[in-house]
Amino acid sequence: MLLRTITSQPKSISFPGKVKATQTRGYFGANQSRMAVSRTAMILPDMKSAEKLNSPTSRTVTQVFDANGVDVTPRPLYRSDTHVGTAKPSKLLTSQEGSRGSDYISSYSFYQNTLNPSMLGQFTRSVLGSSTVSKSSVSTTESITEDLEEPSYKWERLASFTDLRVLRTIPGKILKEDLEKTIEIILTETETLRLFDLPTVMLSVESEEAEKVSQRNKNYEILCRNRLGNDLYVERMMQTINGAPKNKDVQCDRIIKEDKGIMSTAWDLYDSLNALELSSLPAKWPAADSRSRTNVAAKPREQRAPGSTTEKNSEASSLMDIENVILARIHDDEEDRSEAILKSDKFHQDLFFMERVLMENIFQPKLAAYRQLPVLKEPEPEEPKEFLQGKKVEEVEEEVKKEEEEEIEISAEQSTIPANLERLWSFSCDLTKGLNVSSLAWNKINSDLLVVGYGHFGFKEQKRGLACCWSIKNPTWPERIYQSPYGVTAVDFSIGSPNLLAVGYHNGTIAIYNVQSNSNVPVLDSSESPQKHLGPVWQLQWIEQDRGTTGDDKREILVSISADGRISKWVIRKGLDCHDLMRLKRTAASSNKKGGEKEKKGEALISRQAPGMCFAFHPKDTNIYLAGTEEGHIHKCSCSYNEQYLDTYRGHKGPVYRIAWNPFCHDVFLSCSADWGVAIWQQETLKPFLSFYPTTYVVYDVAWSPKSSYIFAAANESRVEIWDLYISTLDPLIVNVANPGIKFTTVLFAKQTDCLLVGDSDGQVAVYELRNMPTALDSGRGDIIDTLLGPKSHQPG
Amino acid sequence: MAEVEETLKRIQTHKGVIGTMVVNAEGIPIRTTLDNSTTVQYAGLLHQLTMKARSTVRDIDPQNDLTFLRIRSKKHEIMVAPDKEYLLIVIQNPCE
Repeated sequence: MLLRTITSQPKSISFPGKVKATQTRGYFGANQSRMAVSRTAMILPDMKSAEKLNSPTSRTVTQVFDANGVDVTPRPLYRSDTHVGTAKPSKLLTSQEGSRGSDYISSYSFYQNTLNPSMLGQFTRSVLGSSTVSKSSVSTTESITEDLEEPSYKWERLASFTDLRVLRTIPGKILKEDLEKTIEIILTETETLRLFDLPTVMLSVESEEAEKVSQRNKNYEILCRNRLGNDLYVERMMQTINGAPKNKDVQCDRIIKEDKGIMSTAWDLYDSLNALELSSLPAKWPAADSRSRTNVAAKPREQRAPGSTTEKNSEASSLMDIENVILARIHDDEEDRSEAILKSDKFHQDLFFMERVLMENIFQPKLAAYRQLPVLKEPEPEEPKEFLQGKKVEEVEEEVKKEEEEEIEISAEQSTIPANLERLWSFSCDLTKGLNVSSLAWNKINSDLLVVGYGHFGFKEQKRGLACCWSIKNPTWPERIYQSPYGVTAVDFSIGSPNLLAVGYHNGTIAIYNVQSNSNVPVLDSSESPQKHLGPVWQLQWIEQDRGTTGDDKREILVSISADGRISKWVIRKGLDCHDLMRLKRTAASSNKKGGEKEKKGEALISRQAPGMCFAFHPKDTNIYLAGTEEGHIHKCSCSYNEQYLDTYRGHKGPVYRIAWNPFCHDVFLSCSADWGVAIWQQETLKPFLSFYPTTYVVYDVAWSPKSSYIFAAANESRVEIWDLYISTLDPLIVNVANPGIKFTTVLFAKQTDCLLVGDSDGQVAVYELRNMPTALDSGRGDIIDTLLGPKSHQPG
Repeated sequence: MAEVEETLKRIQTHKGVIGTMVVNAEGIPIRTTLDNSTTVQYAGLLHQLTMKARSTVRDIDPQNDLTFLRIRSKKHEIMVAPDKEYLLIVIQNPCE
């Protein structure tokens, strides 16, 4: 061992190299490192200083200087104490600075282990000499084995044995204040430690050494090439020692594998993305979402309600008129979930669709005929032709080409068949059986939606009344049913808001329903109004009127005529407001020019007002309208005058049940009356132009055809007649006789198709198709009828 | 609920309808007019077909979804209104 007893005299030691003591370590660190340096300096034989210290002279003050003249005199290692022990390798390592220090430390720690026994040995030898030594030895051992965590304590003890000039701070008792004191911890950067250095193998071509490197590379390449077959190079083999391999097995738990596959589809990705987005919304949204989803489902339904959309010809996206909402609950023993399913809106919707689809299947030929699509014929069982069920026009066209041949034959036959009405189907159900159809009206937007009012005409036959909205797509069950105790006498759909339905009752009330909702309660009712009608409301119509001077947009009013002799206009403004347009006064009979004017004063009149039966607004000028009364007179009135008629047309001897303006020729109108007659008038003439008395039955309803200005339909009690004035003014073109016991009460033409709806007294509304109508040229022109009527227009009176 | 029952009854009594079934997502019939084995068979087969049909529709356009499915066979037509929770199946023989 190189270690010798060291003089205990203080020596000064200066450091070679760089030392940067961390301040936390403070003096200790410095000391320790100094100690370390000194120790290793002692140990390593190549240090000059070590040699000096090796001299046994323990008392001489030796000073060591290294090459640079720095004093590196080691401080005394041995104090008969336990510096060795206390020098914790860990601490030394942490306090090291610089690579040099680390080398020393590592070597020191290595010797550390070997020192102790020798130290002990030395101690024991000098045990006899001094008690301090033994103490120190004890302390050495203690310190060695002790946990090296309290340098301060150690130092203190050591100080008692040595007079090492140890710079230390006496830690003292840690007071409470000290704990709360903020201790400044200053962190500084240590010097960069190089742990790994991998020089680059690539150089930029532009660097200075590039030249040399490329030269070297070339030389190497040449060398390699020259190697082959060159005498300078000799192959030689060497045997390397193969270590004996050893196998080692490890057993682990069985890895359970599971295969999982998923097909990634476009919609899956889309759904996942949506789910992510949804989950990022706040928590209350999911609840709202589910609600809104049902609401969103409800909204398109409502939008497609007769309010606002156009109809499409496919069943899945078919125009849904109205939705049935579950109103009542039934108690049953089914599971909650299945109940929930059955109650859900979506289920309802699906049921609705399903019913429509079934209807379509059943009625396909009829509906196709209605819509004027070629009717598909069923293929024979042998033929493998495909049977199309859809009503899409493109598909149908393909089929048409296949059936053209057949059709040509059929049409050749049909041209010889006279015009006829072919019955397609009829709207009827259990509810409507036995009721009298009193009025029909189409919805203004949705041409598939029809409203039928059921109610008896006569006072004695009054039963409960019904207004049903039917859809073409489901002829077996109405979409909406509005029941009332009074018979319904007039119905009409609004133009501006096509979801509003006005219903007039036999007791004079007018109710307005919103067909979008499913409630049976009317939105507005005139039963509370002080100006409500006192007699049955025979006709209702929504009119769009120009405001004229005020420049407003067309405003819609509801005009009603009733048996109490009043024509009133109703405006919806918070409630139904009523204004009288006209009071129909009884007019005196036409004065006989002979013998002066005689007024019939002797008539006992119950009221001065004549019950109104019908009215018709001029198609162009909505200020002018015609009103028919029970007296048989037709008055031309204007909305601007509510006292006087403009004109009176006398011709009928019985109540006038219907007046209709010709849709093409605006001078001509048609009227029918209980005097079995139908009359055609021209506006300027006060006498009828043409009259027809085909049968001895009351004519309840007439209507012009929307396609031709010559064709009109008339319904009297026993038959429906189609007249074509172009062909004949004496006989109807088509006559359709009713079944016995049933009276035809109303007619209505379908707008786009060649079909006629006829309501009868048994609650059925039959749909007839007009077939083989003679196609008159230019049948839609307005002046045509003038040419027809021209030579006849000069009638006396 | 009464309206639902009424509508179901009406559908069942329509011309040509052979059977009406409402099955839930697991194939358990909620309402059916056919016998149990037939119902279960239809439910299982149509469920798979509906899934495939829906997958097809949505693959083409993920924002689209299947609303109705009709299968026309020689003898009759099967109409399915699918939903996440149930299947409404009606079998009709339209050309009576």
